[in-house]
Amino acid sequence: MNPSAIPDADAQQEAPRPLRVGIVGTGGISRAHLPGWTELGAQLHCFSLSGAEEFAAETGAVLHSTLEELLAAVDVVDVCTPTPEHPGVVRAALDAGKDVICEKPLALTGEEARELAEHAERVGRRLFPAHVVRYFPQYAAAKRAVDTGAVGELAVLRFERTGSLPDRSWYADEELSGGIVMDQMIHDIDQALWLAGPVSSVYAQQSVASSDAAVSTAHVVLTHRSGAISHCRGFWGPQGTRFRYTFELAGDGGLLQYDSAGDPGIVFDEVASARRGSGDGFLPDVSTLRDPYAAEIVEFAAALSTGAPTRVDAADGVAAVEISRAALESLRTGRSIAC
Amino acid sequence: MLTARQIDPTAPLKIALMSCAHTHAVGYAGLLEARADVDLVVADPDGYGDVRGVRVLPSYDAAWDAWPEGPDAIVVTSANAHHKDLVLEAARRGVHVLCEKPLATTLADAGAMVEACRDAGVVLMTAFPVHFAPEVTALRAAISDGSLGEVVGLTGTNNGKLPAGRDWFTDVELAGGGAMVDHTVHIAEILDSVFGPPATVHAVTNRILYAERAGEGAETGGLVTLTYDSGLIATIDCSWSQPADAPTWGGLRLQALGTGGQLQIDAFAQHVGGHDQWLPYGTNTDALLLDAFLDAVRAGEAVDPTGEVGLRTVAVVAAAQESVRTGQPVAVAEV
Repeated sequence: MNPSAIPDADAQQEAPRPLRVGIVGTGGISRAHLPGWTELGAQLHCFSLSGAEEFAAETGAVLHSTLEELLAAVDVVDVCTPTPEHPGVVRAALDAGKDVICEKPLALTGEEARELAEHAERVGRRLFPAHVVRYFPQYAAAKRAVDTGAVGELAVLRFERTGSLPDRSWYADEELSGGIVMDQMIHDIDQALWLAGPVSSVYAQQSVASSDAAVSTAHVVLTHRSGAISHCRGFWGPQGTRFRYTFELAGDGGLLQYDSAGDPGIVFDEVASARRGSGDGFLPDVSTLRDPYAAEIVEFAAALSTGAPTRVDAADGVAAVEISRAALESLRTGRSIAC
Repeated sequence: MLTARQIDPTAPLKIALMSCAHTHAVGYAGLLEARADVDLVVADPDGYGDVRGVRVLPSYDAAWDAWPEGPDAIVVTSANAHHKDLVLEAARRGVHVLCEKPLATTLADAGAMVEACRDAGVVLMTAFPVHFAPEVTALRAAISDGSLGEVVGLTGTNNGKLPAGRDWFTDVELAGGGAMVDHTVHIAEILDSVFGPPATVHAVTNRILYAERAGEGAETGGLVTLTYDSGLIATIDCSWSQPADAPTWGGLRLQALGTGGQLQIDAFAQHVGGHDQWLPYGTNTDALLLDAFLDAVRAGEAVDPTGEVGLRTVAVVAAAQESVRTGQPVAVAEV
């Protein structure tokens, strides 16, 4: 919520023993979560259907051969599995009395996401959906400005997210990942909801290249109850596509614009760039930022000890899935969907 | 049926610029007046008085009668709702026409205008200057020569300030609507020139921006989403979302995404900047538009952007307006 919610070094030293985190699923995103846990001095535990040994070897995490064994050994669970496994792991962790961080999307359907949030409520544990974009400083700055009236009443919002299809096969299966809307664009749907509030209707279109199924784009238009309208544009581009994200927020009192392709403060010319590698197009380069993945983990962990609210909670995770599902329903029917 | 008048290739073209209601009238008048091959009169029946240094006449009749045999061509820069009467009168007289965009405020009017000019054998072109921008030419080329591979989606933004100095721009009766009428057609024309007409249109609008200054019922924000039979999708942000104190009026950007990569163009990017400074130095697309029109008049044959494409972009706007009314996408063929 605010910087003071982040524990300082003294608070860490007062902790009786390190926080024990169980990372379930050790694919790409679990690596992005590591710096946050490292910063907290957490003791790592891991369980995964594949790749757990490598992860344990890389990180020194305690390797568990079953989910039950991991749950018995940790304080908090960090769910980094493919999306279809989220609900089962989250339920098991909650039933074992653990607080849970779960990668987005919480679940593939609104009903299931809502059920998970209610489950957490029922057992009295916290459930944090890892909508990391709220922790990117550009979006956080825009949110603060909007909340303090810097651009007046929001009218037209545009969000773009560009990357390449993650190279793990389950992402390409829309049944498993929810496709570009549920996997990639959900970040910007969450931003639209965060900035402009609840949505009354959703219209979506998607186009997959007939010559290359890895290349696709989606457009989602949201009408907010406030009257504001939002356009989210997702793109999984051809191999070599650089990760890029932009937003433009127009209000009756001003305009906010951000483009990650703008000058980030460090610019290599073409000669120098050619001698260096570039990113994988799957996750954004956060090397010049306060690591947003670490920031979210640190805020979640702090909230567990203080009980403080976090800038994204289970209800937000549910809303993002519900609106994304409405977009999928619009794709299926060609109609605008009332929410 | 009348036929278009013969053009004397040795004489200056007799051009009447009809109305000073549109802010583009000043620019067109200056460019036309500077040409040795044009004899220009300007009708300013509303008495705006800001087109100067040219022969200004107080009525349309005076402009029609400025030469014994009448003008060879007219440039229509009246309020949108008045385009139709001027264009139909030109067709009746066998006079060629360059008409400001949007071609008309209703699909029926636009259709009648195109039909009348076709029947009369006169050139009808629609004033889409950005059609001639080198950035737009580059976009068309990159798509048609396959540089971008298979194009799957486009996003266009044509954002600007609320038009100032001419209240009719936000008067729904005279303009046909607000930002969606004013700003959808430029990008719709560019898309049409590459991909042909869309299959469906979905639109949402609001009036939060410039709410105190916009005319009653005029939308000031809008998102218009087009689909094509090929599967291609495109969205146009037509909002008047440029803040009033910005150093330039607005701009036009288009981003095309394909299997061969991405291209983004900004037709008004070329400028020298600085704190609160915006010194444009890009191509004068109004001059290129007038060149194309005058050549077309001499040849007796319209070139792009024609009246027909003006009509098709009015159809996109009509479908968008219907979509706003119904809340659902609308098939362009059914408007």
